[in-house]
Amino acid sequence: MLDWLLDTQSRLSGWLLQAVVEPAFYALGLMDLIEDIQQWLDFAVLGLLQLVVAWLVCRPLEAWRPVERWPDRAAVRTDVVYALINRIGLLPLLAFVLLAGLQGAWESLLTDYDLLPPTLEQLVPWLLDHPVAAFLVYVVVLDFFEYWRHRAQHGFRWWYALHAIHHAQRQMTFWSDDRNHILDDVLAALWFGAIALLIGVPPAQFPLIILLLRLVESLSHANVRLQFGWLGERLLVSPRFHRLHHGELSAGQYGRNYAVLLPVWDWAFGTGDWHRDRFPPTGDPEAPAVLARGGWWRQQVAGLTLFGNVLRKRS
Amino acid sequence: MNPQAPPSRRVRLVLPVLAALLALPQGRAAADLIYVLNSGEASVTVIDSVTRTEFRRIPVLREPHHLLMAPNGRDLLIADSAANEMLIVNPDTAEIIRRERISNPYHLGFSPDGKYFVINSLRRGQVDIYDAASMALLARLSTPTQPSHMAFSPDSKRVFVTLQGTRGLLAIDLDERRALWQVDVGPQPAGVIWHNNRLLVGVMGGDYVTVVDPAEARVERQITTARGSHTVWPAPDGKTIYATSRVDSAITLLDGETLQVKGRWDLPGGPDDMSVAPDGKLWVTLRWAARIAIIDPATGQYETMRVGRSPHGIMVHPTPPPQPIATADPSPSARAGEPPRAEPRAETPAVQPAATPGPSSGTSPGTSLGLPSGSVSLLPGSLLGTAYAAEAPVPPWPERQAVEPPLVISQPHLLAPYNSLSRRLTLR
Repeated sequence: MLDWLLDTQSRLSGWLLQAVVEPAFYALGLMDLIEDIQQWLDFAVLGLLQLVVAWLVCRPLEAWRPVERWPDRAAVRTDVVYALINRIGLLPLLAFVLLAGLQGAWESLLTDYDLLPPTLEQLVPWLLDHPVAAFLVYVVVLDFFEYWRHRAQHGFRWWYALHAIHHAQRQMTFWSDDRNHILDDVLAALWFGAIALLIGVPPAQFPLIILLLRLVESLSHANVRLQFGWLGERLLVSPRFHRLHHGELSAGQYGRNYAVLLPVWDWAFGTGDWHRDRFPPTGDPEAPAVLARGGWWRQQVAGLTLFGNVLRKRS
Repeated sequence: MNPQAPPSRRVRLVLPVLAALLALPQGRAAADLIYVLNSGEASVTVIDSVTRTEFRRIPVLREPHHLLMAPNGRDLLIADSAANEMLIVNPDTAEIIRRERISNPYHLGFSPDGKYFVINSLRRGQVDIYDAASMALLARLSTPTQPSHMAFSPDSKRVFVTLQGTRGLLAIDLDERRALWQVDVGPQPAGVIWHNNRLLVGVMGGDYVTVVDPAEARVERQITTARGSHTVWPAPDGKTIYATSRVDSAITLLDGETLQVKGRWDLPGGPDDMSVAPDGKLWVTLRWAARIAIIDPATGQYETMRVGRSPHGIMVHPTPPPQPIATADPSPSARAGEPPRAEPRAETPAVQPAATPGPSSGTSPGTSLGLPSGSVSLLPGSLLGTAYAAEAPVPPWPERQAVEPPLVISQPHLLAPYNSLSRRLTLR
């Protein structure tokens, strides 16, 4: 099954590349980008698979035990747009095309100064012979940094002005995971890039694990009354755990449950809430209504306006 | 065997058969190993050519693209560009011998005399020239964008580098470590080989192979092949040049003498690099299909086999000697294990080997002779055979004494912070 899934993924991305993308890039005289584009396409197809898997797993759960029922799901449709843009297009493209050029210039400079950015495996040689373990260590390390990025998103007012879009959603579903301002996504990519320079980035050779990780992130936003029990709540972020972070009383600077994947960070840094019976309504009461109800474009403009207002007040 | 024969006679008949069976090469020894670099999956697939099964999968850190046999015939170099790492692998067992840290090694090659080791870094836009004996960095030349593939002149004095971002073919003087000239060969040039005193360049942004006269530093002509022309590869007998094209997904066959198009094989999946097996079959990576193709050049028939994502560099080990491709009437010497011919081929320039032996040990010339395989141009077997099969034993590469050559660097103002650590790829 796994073999079939991965073979299907490579066949689909290969077909798309040969039938559509490569002839177009050839016509545009951009064949030198084609290998970066292939990587982007691989991720885009994997992103599509992630959405399919998330839908197959989360949608039945949401139908089975929803926390909330809504007569009108228009706000959810906006999140579908976010998910499609991010999983299929925007994030991988940012990573592979924009950052690749910057990375090249940076590495050239480092090499001239006789510096080589190490990878985690080179820092911990045992990991060289244990690639799966190495990948999981990367996941833990990156999740730790993600926890702190999330803390920063809430801790800096200018950053929360962008992050407010994510929290304004009052109809939170598994689609809401990708609901972010585009500038917030760029900051996240730069954050990730900085970590990559410190420890490298994990190789993309474990699509199944990536699939599972993204599924957990989607599930944590799902509109489902589900908690993982005393131990499970401390091992993996559950829909209950993350819903509390999205609760109306938790938005802004006084949030709880920041962890993205592993709740251990909230445990360690005293920001965890372990009340397993709490499933509060979501949303940010102080956020403008457009952030909750507007379409993708209006939300992007509103987010940028809020961001500008905060910066102006600071200066 | 007659079942009615008396036991003693049966024994007499069986024993020679058993003895003959025992004398046959056992297990994998009879097979070649095919190394395939899965650039999109951070691994190297090693295939047993007889059973057509995966013999081993070597995990690497990030993104392997090209590979090359060291002149000593014992070290297979696998460049993991995104991990800033070079793996040194035992080509017979596919076991990692050691790892070397090196900045973004993309394409790599040894000069035919074994004196220089050159690395193109596509991403950082630099060409590094090493002393092959000591692996000390001699020069790091900043080039216009995306130095991609390379080819050497048979006299080892020049290396030619395609510049994927700027339509250029750059000639570099290896002794003086400076650029000689650059010529516009077409959009996004990729593979390049030296062939009959000409350079053949696959032009990926076009549908042609550009022929460059290196003596005059000018484009002589263009040969239309198929859209997305990528690498160019000579058959071991030099009578055919194979030109891969990624967009039209085809291999165009050019006459080795006239460079006239004499055929075309459509090969879905984006054919990229190739390597020739001792039986004459071509092993080709299909970049967009996560597969390789095994082509019988006599018929053009092919079969495919699944490997990892985005397979790029490929190498058959042991690399076959430059003999005629097996046809309906293969000569005995066309089979595996034969040493390369000592005499130069008629269509290759009669180049005298360098007076100084190459950095080879006395490895049997029947095995890997340091032919720059993977996607590096194959040079005349006579030259390689003579230069690398040194009679007097010399210390194996790269364990010899380090030399301290003058460092030439493209940005003099950056010379000061340069320390000795990265000037040497290895010193053991």
